Parts: sequence; structure tokens; C-alpha cells
Amino acid sequence: MSFLNPFLLFGSLALAIPILIHLVRREKSEIIPFSSLMFLLKVPKRSIRQQKIKNLLLMALRLLILALLVGAFARPYLTQPAKPAGNATANRGVVLMLDNSYSMRYGNNFDRLKAEAQKRIDSMRAGDRMSIIAFNENATLLSRPTSDKNALKAMVDTLEPSFSGTRYYEAFTLADRALSEFGGDQKQLVVISDFQRNGWNRSSRESIIGTDVKTEAVNLAVQNPNNVGIDSVSVDQTSFTRTYTGRVIARIHNYRKDIPVDVQVSVALNDKEMGRKTLTVSANSSALAEFTGFDLQLGFSKGRVHIDSNDPLKVDDDFLFALERREKLKLLIVDAGKAKQSLYLRQAYTSSPDLPFEVSVLPASALTPEEVSNHEVVVINDVPRLPDKVRDRLDDLRKTGQGQLIILGENADAGWWNSYAKLPVKAGPRIFVAKDRGRPSVALTTYDRNHSIFKPFEKSTRVVLNSAQFFAYMNVEAKPGAVVLAKYEDGSPVIVESSKEDHGMLVFNSTIDSKWNDLPLKPSFLPLFHEMVRYLSRYNENRSWYALDEAIPVVAGLESVAAAVIDPKGGRQALGQLTAGQVKFFTPTIPGFHEFRVGPDTRLVAVNPPSSEGNLDTMPPEDLLASVQRTQGESQQAGLFGTEEKAEYARRQTIWWYLLFIALLAGIAEIYIANQSYKTS
Amino acid sequence: MKIQNLELVARSVVEGFVQGLHRSPYLGFSVDFAAYRQYMPGDEIRRIDWNVFSRSDKLYVKLYEGETNTRVLVLLDISGSMNYGSGEIKKIDYARIVAACLSYFAYHQRDGVGLLTFDTQIRSHVPAGRRRGQLLTILSEIDRIQPSELTEFRKPLRFLAEYLTRRGVIVLISDLYDEPENILAGLKVLRSKGNDIIVFHIMDNFELTFPFEDMAQFEDMETKRKLHVIPEYLRNQYLVILKDHMERLRKELSGTRIDYCLMDTSKPLDAGLFTYLAARSKSI
Repeated sequence: MSFLNPFLLFGSLALAIPILIHLVRREKSEIIPFSSLMFLLKVPKRSIRQQKIKNLLLMALRLLILALLVGAFARPYLTQPAKPAGNATANRGVVLMLDNSYSMRYGNNFDRLKAEAQKRIDSMRAGDRMSIIAFNENATLLSRPTSDKNALKAMVDTLEPSFSGTRYYEAFTLADRALSEFGGDQKQLVVISDFQRNGWNRSSRESIIGTDVKTEAVNLAVQNPNNVGIDSVSVDQTSFTRTYTGRVIARIHNYRKDIPVDVQVSVALNDKEMGRKTLTVSANSSALAEFTGFDLQLGFSKGRVHIDSNDPLKVDDDFLFALERREKLKLLIVDAGKAKQSLYLRQAYTSSPDLPFEVSVLPASALTPEEVSNHEVVVINDVPRLPDKVRDRLDDLRKTGQGQLIILGENADAGWWNSYAKLPVKAGPRIFVAKDRGRPSVALTTYDRNHSIFKPFEKSTRVVLNSAQFFAYMNVEAKPGAVVLAKYEDGSPVIVESSKEDHGMLVFNSTIDSKWNDLPLKPSFLPLFHEMVRYLSRYNENRSWYALDEAIPVVAGLESVAAAVIDPKGGRQALGQLTAGQVKFFTPTIPGFHEFRVGPDTRLVAVNPPSSEGNLDTMPPEDLLASVQRTQGESQQAGLFGTEEKAEYARRQTIWWYLLFIALLAGIAEIYIANQSYKTS
Repeated sequence: MKIQNLELVARSVVEGFVQGLHRSPYLGFSVDFAAYRQYMPGDEIRRIDWNVFSRSDKLYVKLYEGETNTRVLVLLDISGSMNYGSGEIKKIDYARIVAACLSYFAYHQRDGVGLLTFDTQIRSHVPAGRRRGQLLTILSEIDRIQPSELTEFRKPLRFLAEYLTRRGVIVLISDLYDEPENILAGLKVLRSKGNDIIVFHIMDNFELTFPFEDMAQFEDMETKRKLHVIPEYLRNQYLVILKDHMERLRKELSGTRIDYCLMDTSKPLDAGLFTYLAARSKSI
């Protein structure tokens, strides 16, 4: 029984009014001193009792009338239709939802799940049908409705626990579809799971299962589970040196809520142990284990963090990651040959051996096309002009992925550079701020915050671009198609990127010394020029690991290539032909190391099961089932009923007529008794 | 109420009544000859009528009709219930005036007057007498009384029956809130000893009519017991029981030749007294 206007039930508070009046009047009734109660006490008790009974009866009748009126206006209705007598023997349609997320690997949970499933199959009567859904992060319909117990049992037998997380919403959505296939049968939904709290997102759209479905939950959750797992591993994936100078930080979580545990944490590369530590992890908290300083071979290495724990869930005791040792980026700085012209630039890229740059400096006069070809990024640092062959070679190399940074300053011959059609800007006269703008300097105030070269300035409040003062610059104008990435405060471009059609060139409009600006002396200099070179080299920092069921981007380079994935079992999955710059996504289904082959390049990606599954906190099954099952009102709003069902619901809502009729009868009775009482008195 | 006022009220009520309305039941020593009686040993020799002795040679004493030597004892009920009053005057005040009037009246009749107040026991007693200042003593005592206790007739009346050796007039002023058996038992003993008894039943008008309307808690002024009462439901029953009570008292008292007079405190006091005294004078 439920109500269409349940808020009107607050009207039942009115029932308290007569009772309160009765009590208050009784409490506060006047005290009259009287000479003697001798005669009053002689009044026959029966007479008083009768009167009291009459009064009580009248009060009860009045309360009843009020209650009936409130009930009628609240519009009660029956939530379940009166079951026909034959229903007890009607055929049942059962959907069995089996949780095969990786948390079910805890102890013998999955065996228990299978046993419970077999039990449900055995209890099927002739004519009953059953569908089986296995669910984890995704839901799969294992069998369509069938009465074949052997087939169903075989299906359950072959079911294996997955490495995926739990998501109930998709499973219930599929179950609803499966239930709809049972037509007029008595529908039943049986959920066998450990009811992990992580699996239910309360913000999900709820109310999936119809009101006519009988639900049952088989809770396999373990009280106070004992589990220690690796939550995540933070890795600096790329190293440019033989000795790894980054850090591998593993977060170990003790999910036990009562006692701390000691765990051995080890890290291995290509199955060779590189370090081991012992950690004490407090109850229901995390601890970090950090590793660094081990040797790396060139290329990708398979990393694994392992903990020695005695808990029944082994999946989260290992965590995989990929490390890559790369050759340093070959960077050529070309200058006008003046003394100390490239001092700041060279220092910027060679100040630390950890920096991924291998720098050569050449004067423009000594530059040959072959020399240019040997570098991934070329910085033309304020030269008057370039040899034509070099210029043509640079144009060709850009097409194969070389990046070029052109710095236009005091030495640049504007006429020659304007004759270079591929330059994304048109150079004008030099601007000396103090003389031409009437102020001592200008600052770099406007820049495209979404561009990757400005990534270091996104979150930092200390490293800011506008702290540098610029005293002179070229009065340049961006050509059509070129993108101005940064501007001075007077609107003149500072950094301009070539058009998409001729991708790979940046122009910096000032010098890199202390004459035209003080940028090299500011903290923003290094990050800005490092990022510009990284960007030009198309250097991508790959993630060292992905979670299972997470989409992994596969990016083609400058040429159209074929892509494929080799999974941990050695299976090859072709991703087809990727055009230049195209991105495809691959979603792994098993944990382990995946090889991504994109043209000639091979990339190693580690895939781990979702660590959230290690948290075995549960939610009450009844809460979950209550939140996914539709109420009568929702069903009606959704317009899910046919004409017959509407008529049935109309019938269920006729209770209020009966309530009003009973209220009328009670009113008549009240009038009669009240009159009788009045006459008697 | 001041004694002087009480006396004034009593005087004004009694004013106009002829003294000597009743005859003394005793033969005393006055000028009015009543009869001769043969001398008995113990009689005073000076009472012997020597003229008769000289004529008949027999000793006779002369008896005279006594006129003022009746003893009037006022029994005043001072139980808590007497403190009730729905209007301006409480029952006890009404009873005070009745007692004062009767005392004044009797005193000026040259009767001996006494007062006895009681509730569950005797609270004060002024023996009947005709002394100088007797009336003042009685009025003072009447003025001083404070009702507080329960009512019980059996015990005080039994005491009185034992104590009174001489016959006289006993006036009982009470609301008679006790079982009729208890009241009648005591009064009948007194009556059997030759006392002339008059009962003034003092009742408030609200007690007689029970005009209450709203539901209330009624508190017994004697026992302090409380009772939830819906007057409209209980009025009829109450009045029937009260009427039965009074009728029974009236009948039983009449049967033993005890005068019963109901006095409603809402009605003028003198009306009641006139009614009674008129009835008394006729009966003499």
C-alpha cells in the first residue's frame, strides 16, 4: 500500500487535536471546592462508566472520521495487484546476476557464488526459465531464457572471475531487458554478489527494475575482510640516463580496519628485483614505498611492484608499470657566430645532465644541410640569413617531424626573412620601447593558456611570464593561418606558430640575451624554452600504466601507418590503418603488458586491474535493490503501462471511495450516539 | 463578624417576638401556684404549706410553675463542609447567625443558654446557664469558630447524651453531611431522655440545585478528595440522592418528634426563624 499524495498524511496530525484538547482540558480543568462529595460519590458507577464509554466511543468515532478523511485525501493505492489464485503455480522467469568482478577472487568467494547459482538452478520447476548475466565493469548475458538446467549449470561451471571492477548499474539495466523477455511469467531477479560499495554510484540513474519483479539478494560479503593491496604506483616513465633518476612510488593500502600490517614491498624490472623494503601500514590507511637509482636498459622495461601479503585476495598484490629509457633529444643551435650569443640558450639545455637534450652550437656560416638533418630540433638564434640550401632542407625536414625555433632579433635581416615564404610572420622595423613607445619596457602579458608550451605556467604562481621586461623587439605581423601564442602588452606578437599545413615552426620575437630583454635571467626562461623544444620535437610523455577497461590512445605520427596491439597472452589485435595524426583508442580487457605497434614504433603499456576493487567495503543489498526497483509512481510517470495495466492501477486507487463511505457511516453513527447521549443527559 | 454585630443581628431578628412563648417543662419556684404534693423526706421544711397542715393535719408542700429555667443548648456543626458558600454568605456564617439569634432569643426568654461546637469531636462547650455575661460568652465563642474538620455525629452526640443530666431544648445547626443512621442514633438517645430537639438543616442553594455546567474537578472541603465531574451527566442523580437523604431525615426525625427545618442560605434568615418559631408557638 502506498499513497499518491503522501504529504497529505500530515493531515493525520489533526487527530492529535481532539486528544490534546481532551488531555489539556483534563489537566487544566477547574477545581471547584464543594462542601462534600458524599452524594456525588453515591452516584452509581455504572452510570458514570456508561457515560465515559459513550464519550470514548464518540471520540473514537470522531477520530476515525478524521483518519478516514485524511486517508482518503492521501489517495492510497495498492502497490501490488491482488494475485490471481493461479499465480502460485505460474511459471517463473528468473534472471541470475552473477558478480565476477575481481573482488570475487577473495578466498573461495567465487566457488560460493557458483554453488549458490547451482542451487538456484536446481530449484527451478518444470516450465520455469532462467537467464544468466555475468557482470563486472561490464555486464554480459551468458544465456537467453531457457529451462535447460544442464546448459545453465555448464554455463555457471565455465564462468571465471574477471580482473575488472564492479558496476551494478549496467548489470541491472541488462537484467531489466532480460526480464522483459519473460512476458507474463512471475519475474524474479536473483543477485549473487559481494555487494561492494564501490560498485554503486548513487548518482547513477536509478529505478531500473520493474515493480512486478521479485528480487532476491545473496550476499557473499565477508565480515571484516583481510586485504592489503597496491593502490597505485607513481612513476616518472621516461629516463634519458642509464641510471634511473626518477622515482617509483608505490602506495600500499591496508583495508583492514582493526590491525596494522607489515608488508614486504619489492620492485622488479624485467623480472629482476631492483629493490625491496618493509613497510608498516596502519589499519585502514596507506603507506608509501619509494624506489630509485637502479639501472635501465635502452628502450622499454617491464616494471612490477609486488607485496608479500597473506591476504586471500592476490590480484592487488602486484602492480605493473612500464619504464622507457630514451636517447637524448638532438638539438642544434645556430647563431650569427657572435661571442656569447647562444650562452643562455646552451646553458638552458645543458645545465643538468638529467635534461633530455644533447646540444650542438654552430654559426650559420658553417651550417650544411647534412648537419641540419642530424638533429631533431633546430634553433635559429637571431641570424641575419640562412644559406638557401639549408633553408630548403629545413622545409623538407619539417615534413618528417623536425621542429624549428626561429629567433628574430637585432641580427635578423628583415628583408631576407620576409623573403622566406614559409616564415609565419612578416618582419617589420625594430621597436625600441623606450624611444618608440615612450615607456621603459613592455611585458609578455597575454598567452594561450591551453597551449602545451605554457603548461609550466598553468598552476605556478611563482613562475610567471610577465615578470620579464622586454626593451626591444621586431615589429612583426602574423601571416594568415599562423597562430599567435603570446603577445606583448601592446599587442605585438612574441611567439607565433606556423600554420597546421606547415606544422613544426615557432618564431620568438626578441633576442635571447640580456640586451633586448631580461628574460634569460627570469625563472620563466628555462621552462618556456624547454617546453618549446619538447613541443617541436613532438616528444610525448606516455603514461607508465593504465587501468583495465580504460581507453588507451594510439596516435599515428606524420605518416599513415598500420597499428596493432599484442596482448599479454601474445594475441595480436589489429587496429587498422591510421592516417597521419589520427588517434584511435584501445580498451584492454586483461591486465598485463601490452605492446602497441604503430608503424615502426613499438610502445609498451602496462595495464592493471582497478585498484578500487581491493576495497571490499559492502553496502546493504536491500538498499541497492530498493534503489534500483521502480516505485509504482515512477512506473506510471514513465508511461510504462498499457490500457489493461492502467485499468488495473485505476482499480487499485479506488480505495479512497471506500474510505469516504466508511467515514460517512461513522459520521451517521456519531450523530446518532451523540443525540442519544444528549437525550439521556 | 464582630460580636456586637452578631448581637445586633440576633436582636434585630428576634425583635418583636413575645417573650415566654413557651412554658417551662419544670415546676419551679415562682408566684404561680401549680399543685400540692405530699411531703417526702428530704423536702425542704420551709416549702411545707402550714395552712393545709393545720386544716388536715397532713404535711403538703406547695409546687409553683417555673417560667424561666429551661436550658437551651445550641449544637453547632463546625465541620469543613460548613465553610461552603456559593453566594455572599457561607453556610457557617448563616449558622452563626442562626445560633446567635436563638441564643439571644433564649437568653432574653430567661432560659439558660449554652453552646457546643463539634466536628468529629467536641471543639468547645459553653455550659447552659443564665449567668451575667453568658450571652456575651456564647456570642464570642460563635464568633471565634473556624470550620476545618470532617463531620461525625455519633461521637459528639454520644458524649452529649452522657453529659446532659437535665432535660432541655437542644438545637442542632448543621448541614447534616453524615449518614442518617449516625445522625439519628445520637439524636434519638437525646430525645429519649426527654430533650426537646430542633434540627436546623443549613444548605447552600448550589447544594440544593447543583447548577454547575462545565466539567470540573470537585474538591471535597472536608476530605480534600477530588472528583472529575461532568455536571450535566451527574446532576439528576445527585439531586435524587440528596432529596432521598433529606426526606429520610425528615421522616425519621418526625417519627421521633424532632423538629426539622431546612434553611436555604440564599433565603433571608428571619424567614426561616419565623417559620420555625411560629410552628413552635402553635405546638405549645
